[in-house]
Amino acid sequence: MSRRFIRLMALVAAMALSTALLAACGGDDEERGGGSGGAAAAAGDTALKKGTAVRLWIMNNGPDPVKDTERLVQPFEQKTGVDVKVELVGWDVQFDRIRNAAVSGEGPDITQAGTTQVPFFAALGGFEDLSDRVSDLGGSEAYPEGVWSTTQVQGQEGTWATPWFTEARAIYYRKDVLKQAGIDPKTAFADWDAFRTTLETIKQKVPEVGGKPIQPFGTPGKKAFDLVHHVMPFVWDAGGAELNDDASKATIASPQAQQGVKYFADLVGDGLADKAQLERDGTQVENQFKAGRLAVWMGGPWVLQSSEREDDDKWTKAARENVGIAPMPAGPSGKGFTFVGGSNLMMLKSSKHKNEAWALLKYLSEPKVQTEYAALMGMFPSKADAQAQAGEGDENKAQFLKAIQQGRSYAEIPQWGQIENAYKGRFGEILDQAARGGIDDATLSTELRKAQDEADALLAQNAG
Amino acid sequence: MGGAGPPSRAPSSGPPPRTPPIHPMSSTPLTVEVADERPEHARRRRRPFAGGLSKRRLPFALIAPALLFMVLVHVVPTAAGVALSFKNLNTFTFSQLFDAPWNGFANYDSILFDQANPLRSGMGQAAVNTLQYTFLTTVGTLGGGLGIALLLNRKMRGQRIARTLMLTPWIVPSFVVAVIWGFMWQSDVGIVNKVLVDYLGILSERPTWLIGENSLWAITIPSIWRGIPFAMLLFLAALQSIPQDLSEAASIDGAGPWRRFRHITLPLLRPLIAVQLLFTVIYSAYQFTIPYVMLGSNPGPDADLMMTLIVRQSFSNNLFGFGAAASVLLMLAMFVWVAIWYATFRRDLQESR
Repeated sequence: MSRRFIRLMALVAAMALSTALLAACGGDDEERGGGSGGAAAAAGDTALKKGTAVRLWIMNNGPDPVKDTERLVQPFEQKTGVDVKVELVGWDVQFDRIRNAAVSGEGPDITQAGTTQVPFFAALGGFEDLSDRVSDLGGSEAYPEGVWSTTQVQGQEGTWATPWFTEARAIYYRKDVLKQAGIDPKTAFADWDAFRTTLETIKQKVPEVGGKPIQPFGTPGKKAFDLVHHVMPFVWDAGGAELNDDASKATIASPQAQQGVKYFADLVGDGLADKAQLERDGTQVENQFKAGRLAVWMGGPWVLQSSEREDDDKWTKAARENVGIAPMPAGPSGKGFTFVGGSNLMMLKSSKHKNEAWALLKYLSEPKVQTEYAALMGMFPSKADAQAQAGEGDENKAQFLKAIQQGRSYAEIPQWGQIENAYKGRFGEILDQAARGGIDDATLSTELRKAQDEADALLAQNAG
Repeated sequence: MGGAGPPSRAPSSGPPPRTPPIHPMSSTPLTVEVADERPEHARRRRRPFAGGLSKRRLPFALIAPALLFMVLVHVVPTAAGVALSFKNLNTFTFSQLFDAPWNGFANYDSILFDQANPLRSGMGQAAVNTLQYTFLTTVGTLGGGLGIALLLNRKMRGQRIARTLMLTPWIVPSFVVAVIWGFMWQSDVGIVNKVLVDYLGILSERPTWLIGENSLWAITIPSIWRGIPFAMLLFLAALQSIPQDLSEAASIDGAGPWRRFRHITLPLLRPLIAVQLLFTVIYSAYQFTIPYVMLGSNPGPDADLMMTLIVRQSFSNNLFGFGAAASVLLMLAMFVWVAIWYATFRRDLQESR
């Protein structure tokens, strides 16, 4: 009896497995069929089919992302008759969703992607090479160099995305606090020494504002998904880099990189950066600045825009009215680097409406449309001419644009996301140790050495 | 694909204390533990129908839908996960998924024996943390649950309200528990330090709970807090089924409260303790939500658990082969635990029938 039972179970299992396999094969065929059909259409006529639905995945950009984007593409829909379906994919799940869409072929026609994610997604093979089409947009000359490079994979041919919008980190400070401390904002954040002196002076002279305690500086720790964006500028400032020039070896344990990380960690170790902020994630620390508990903080441009929105009730009156922006301080190399990121748009190979999708990409790349959307979100347009205009007429925005000119991003290789995670883990641990009574050079060096070894192992991965 | 699944499946392989007599396989057809009692059981029940073939098949027909579902939901993903653990599945081969090149035991080898492999750095620490976390959580949950059940088992005013209130942490989802406690642990404005430092003055310096060695406690205490109510509920139900006259007889014979607890209550609760022990250990060893939400994707060397590490390596770093191998090893460790558990409590389960 029990043998019969086992046989029955085996039969059921076999049936279930074959169903699953059949389903998988079916999916494959469909993908291939769709792909070639799309390619044929692309080679043929360029007329757009009215009533075609183009699915666009966006992430939560700004306070009302879907409505904002739908409004943005309305003129395009009216002109072309193409129906744009905007779908929201949260930042917390977008990596998994886009990866799965690329591999399975079940997904949108176009998706937004973070600039540093493009090489990984391109390596999956599920995205369209846009090299032959980008001349429609003005090609690489129409974008700042650092922005255009995020559409490429280092050492390979191909253009895998079109730039959409740009962001960078800059120094946020409280004008009233600096005034009270007797510091001139023009020179307060000029270089590393000035930055440190400014924080020391605030700590001594302005322990509180309006009866409420205020900390000189705060930065999020291991919980922040963008921790590496906060630390790497200091590594660059010191002449260090994340990887060597041809991205074959990690260099995060170099003396220069160590100097940069040490400068940043010492701000925590010496009590200039509030250690309690290390327990929070990026958004929580952002809200601490808005709530007036931090005098200096590093953040992206959308926070500046939110200070003008009455409905953002995280801002206290004093903090809202006294926001000042400065570019990042210059380090030993003489430059004050900042991380420049943002989002690009990628077209999926499995798209059945590539002409319509490309028409939408072209529309979203028009300077006027870029400017409008960037302004909605508090970001900067990615096209060079539109970007230059964005800083006009507002001192804080002009400062942000100045920061972007010193912008830098990471090596454009498929493994970068993994390496960033490895660095993030070690940076988080270094800051945690700094918070518990400072970190000595030997410990710092050991941690960075581990980060470097992990990154080298990730670089050594291959398809074999 | 769903290769991430295997760990969470294991709890279902625990045998229920009593097997329904008529269709022994209906609820747990895949258990190893029940298997050795099954033939005896089945034979006893089936003998009257031995001649009728259709009656023999009827039970199988009845359980077929459930069985099919179990195979689809449990067996196939588990098998897929095991298959992936022998693959070189990384950033460059991810798109091939099941067609990715075979890797033999390389994933297992690098996890278990390759000291120099930087990708496994932190895994030993995560294993130790998981052991500590599981031990503390299990002891705290069962001990706390039993203690409170004993307190609430007495006749007193407001007994119902007290019981209802004690159950509230149980209805809070783990995710919310982690968010709430995450706020409570904050060293500058969190309520924990407010009470300890500002109100009671027990400590003069504000400890950091979410940084450093305290962070293991920061994830353990909320886990116990959330686990206690359910343990308490089960213990309370069991306590009420213990006949009062046993205690009364014992106290007439001169047994004090401790001896009555030690020699009457505890032995009668033993089967229930056994079952809770099994489930709490497995549940704790597979804990993910609380450290992930409270401390982020990389909780740091003091609070990184096996599951946070596996999820990080698999999903953030695309090392699916590596992650699948680690999952399989964790699952094997749980099998070992179930075997030890079964050897220890086998007699209790049979006696309770």
